[in-house]
Amino acid sequence: MVDVIPVSSYPSHITLLPSIQQCNLTNLPENYFLKYYLYHALTWPQLSFVAVVRTAKPTTYPKVVGYVLAKMEEDPRDGVQHGHITSLSVMRTHRRLGIAEKLMRNSQRAMAEVFNADYVSLHVLEKTEDKYYADGEDAYAMKMDLKNMQIKDAPEAEDQDEGDAVGSADKKEEKDTTNGVKEKMVKVRVGRQRGVADLVEKNEGTGASY
Amino acid sequence: MAQVPGQQLSSKDLGLFRQVVRHFESKQYKKGLKTAEQVLKKNPNHADTQAMKALILHSQGHTTEAFDLAKLALKGNMKSHVCWHVYGLLWRGEKNFEEASKAYKFALRLEPDSQPIQRDLAYLQIQMRDYEGYIESRRNMLQQKPGFRQNWTALAIAHHLAGAYDEAENVLTTYEDTIKTKLSRTDIEHWEAVLYKNYIIAESGNVEKALDHLEAVGKRSPDVLGVMEMRADYLLRLDRKDEAEAAYSALLDRNTENSAYFDGWVKAKGLQDVEPSEAKQAYDEIAAKNSRSDLPRRRPLDFLSGDAFREAADAYLLRMLRRGVPSTFANIKQLYGDASKRKTVQELVEGYEAGKVPAVADGSEPVTEKEQENFKWSVPYFLAQHYNFAASRDLSKALEYADKCLALDPNSVDFHAVKARTYKYLGNISKAAELMAKAEELDLKDRAINTKCAKYKLRNNQNEQALEMAGKFTQNKTSGGPLADLLDMQCIWFLTEDGQAYLRQRKLGLALKRFHQILNIFDVWQDDQFDFHNFSLRKGMIRAYIDMLRWEDHLRDHPFFSRMATSAVQAYILLADNPDLALGPMLNGVNGTAANGKMSEADRKKALKKAKKEQEKMEKAEADKKALAKASKPVPKAEADDVKKEDTDPLGKTLVETKTPLDDAMKFLTPLLEFCPDVLDAQKVGFELYMRRKKYLLAVKCLLKVRSLVPEDADAHFYAYQLRTELENKEQKPDEKVVELVKELAKDVLQLDVPVNEWNENFAKENKDKSVRHAQAYVQVNDAIDPSSKAENEKTIVSSVSSAKDASLTDLTAGLETLQIRGSSSDVVESYKAEARKTWPEADVFATTES
Repeated sequence: MVDVIPVSSYPSHITLLPSIQQCNLTNLPENYFLKYYLYHALTWPQLSFVAVVRTAKPTTYPKVVGYVLAKMEEDPRDGVQHGHITSLSVMRTHRRLGIAEKLMRNSQRAMAEVFNADYVSLHVLEKTEDKYYADGEDAYAMKMDLKNMQIKDAPEAEDQDEGDAVGSADKKEEKDTTNGVKEKMVKVRVGRQRGVADLVEKNEGTGASY
Repeated sequence: MAQVPGQQLSSKDLGLFRQVVRHFESKQYKKGLKTAEQVLKKNPNHADTQAMKALILHSQGHTTEAFDLAKLALKGNMKSHVCWHVYGLLWRGEKNFEEASKAYKFALRLEPDSQPIQRDLAYLQIQMRDYEGYIESRRNMLQQKPGFRQNWTALAIAHHLAGAYDEAENVLTTYEDTIKTKLSRTDIEHWEAVLYKNYIIAESGNVEKALDHLEAVGKRSPDVLGVMEMRADYLLRLDRKDEAEAAYSALLDRNTENSAYFDGWVKAKGLQDVEPSEAKQAYDEIAAKNSRSDLPRRRPLDFLSGDAFREAADAYLLRMLRRGVPSTFANIKQLYGDASKRKTVQELVEGYEAGKVPAVADGSEPVTEKEQENFKWSVPYFLAQHYNFAASRDLSKALEYADKCLALDPNSVDFHAVKARTYKYLGNISKAAELMAKAEELDLKDRAINTKCAKYKLRNNQNEQALEMAGKFTQNKTSGGPLADLLDMQCIWFLTEDGQAYLRQRKLGLALKRFHQILNIFDVWQDDQFDFHNFSLRKGMIRAYIDMLRWEDHLRDHPFFSRMATSAVQAYILLADNPDLALGPMLNGVNGTAANGKMSEADRKKALKKAKKEQEKMEKAEADKKALAKASKPVPKAEADDVKKEDTDPLGKTLVETKTPLDDAMKFLTPLLEFCPDVLDAQKVGFELYMRRKKYLLAVKCLLKVRSLVPEDADAHFYAYQLRTELENKEQKPDEKVVELVKELAKDVLQLDVPVNEWNENFAKENKDKSVRHAQAYVQVNDAIDPSSKAENEKTIVSSVSSAKDASLTDLTAGLETLQIRGSSSDVVESYKAEARKTWPEADVFATTES
């Protein structure tokens, strides 16, 4: 039985990051070291989801059969807040259960709700033999609108009773978004994002005050 | 700064000194060095410049030089905080946190207001989990800059981790009270800090208060799902059932594929106490609302039984198989722990195969043509997997169904793969690898099948071919080729399988090399958290940061670690028992490897010579590879300061040539036993290693743990015998106190009041026909008690194989290894294999040895 769960669940599933990394290494040619996964999980914890096999006896390290690793674009070139799917894959043994779609849908909703993303972008590797293995290969950029999942700022008065449970907003509209992925297709270049350059700020170096 | 002669710089030189610092910080090491030299030319004893130079040298990898210079600088000016700070940074670079922290503290004493030093000390303290020290540092930092929210949050984190929940909460509240304006939803840092406070309150055990707080603040938090999960959890813990049910329903509305939500919902609704049929109905309602959901359909199979199970399983299987979901079996096999469910599923699917299928899907819609097409292959594919699976294994049937699938579609990757797996279980590893390679050829662009193919090659001990295969998907830019990329990307699975394949071939240098590489990856992962102590405060995602810290504390309880570390200890034990293996595998012609003690001296010499030749060949190949890479690579640019250190020992020669294998193994065993105490094999290698180290108390601890994990484990018998013997060892008697303690601790296991012969005979009686392993344990002890009984014992082993009809491949393989380690004659080995072949005709290990 496969569960699709947030990495940042309460309680947390951050322990699954090494298994997510191995799942990526098993399935895809674009790989990253663990710190890059940590970087995602500690900057946009709500955006990454993982698919695990639930066994009869619960274990700390269930088998990971799929994941979506996602982020917010930090310096959006178009100036619009938007999310980006860094990596998404499902193990061959667990394909056609609809896992990838569920992973994506959960992540997109979180992008809109938590970070107010207008849209999500995704680069899909072009499957042509020559370019597939090389670095800096071609990819398709896809984007999908998320505005209908955003939450407008809640009323200022905190004592106002809203009745509904938190976050049941816009359920109807969500349906349209699941299948309309290919809004726009543009060719872009992607490289291998290994670095976590943002982790250390230059001005925080050793002896700035000497 | 204190006035020490020779320590004053002219204003021009001071400017240059500042440049050195800047160059260092922007990693322009060459420029930094040049500028430092300039200052030192005029002021040869300027300690701070010397220290900065040392720091740069260290960053370039000149460790010894750096330390010498840093010490010289300190000698020149003990009162310089720069020198002490640098000294601390050097130790920090060497991961000697104790020394680093001491040096930072000296520096801070000289310059109490220095923020960089205070900061470095603080990060070190949290990295070392010195919570008290961290509290003190964060308190200082807060006093220096109370205007920054980060500093308040950081102090709260320090208190929280130290277990002082009230203090942590108070610090956060104090800051919140200073906020005068209403903050919008987009102020992520603020709302995260609010939820962090809630997390602390809940953790302190005051769930009621946490819920009240969450109800007050949660609605405005942008982390909608997080709030919903926390709230549902609190409500359930407070036994507020109706509200909890609503909360979990709301979560299920968002995501039906989460068992935890269902668990909470079931508890809140009290479904665990109702009739299964009633519970099933509740699930059906959710399923009806979510046509694409799997969990509400699949979960009732867990709790239903009898006819209700059959009916539900029938509907589920038909739905999945008609849709042609290849992962149906993967989704069903968890039920097989229950034998009756296993039988029902088998009957149902065999029934489909025999044509017993209702005409309509889901009882309403007619079956479409596409669905009928899917059904043709999805049913036999399910059965092939079913008969492969351990609990329902019937390998000849599995082959039959795999072939049936292949007849339908000879170009299916999955069908070839399932057949390959059957051959793996049959023990025919070489054929399995061949078939998997066929599957790989059918889809060259899919890394998943490439991975499987590489893995099967490794299982077949084809290390080089496996690397070549995996190399199709690695980025082979560096001179190290595919392996360097797999290492860089921390590809644990490959490194582990590669190492284990070398271990099986007794190429211990390479095996140890891989295991050390993985050990190092875990160190890197532990070190990875360092940068986040600062980063997470800036980003404000505190809960995730805390979760990360807690996970890092038990990083090595991961199965990736135990698998690797167990193998590493095994490798060191082999090496300790047989130092000749340092030269390479010692093949003795009995299809495999044997302890050289049983070889004639002439044979040994021959084997050594062969091993040496093999080793030289490998070294030459490695050297050629390097030369080629060098020749084809352009000369590195002068400014490329961050040159990666070249691996000077790719074959693991220095590792395998150790004089102290039993000590080296402790690097693996200590964390293994600390973090993975429930792994049976970990305790076994623990026993073996401690016995060789003559640490009897620790050995007995492992033995007792083995017994508690698997009370009837066969190895434990031989272990107990070894311990008995050691305790009575006349020549090297262990310490009296230890002997007494061991006897007391292991009274029940050792049964010292029973004479050893009788004890062993009792074991044989009690475990008659239990397993091949038990028969062997008895024989091993007999061997040891009376070496003259050896021939007789070997007969017992061989006959144990013929009497145990269903002996597993693993057990029989282990038995074969025992024979080889005993140095049994080839006649005995061959007759053992002949017996084993009757059960496992395909297995490579039991093939006759060609002489």
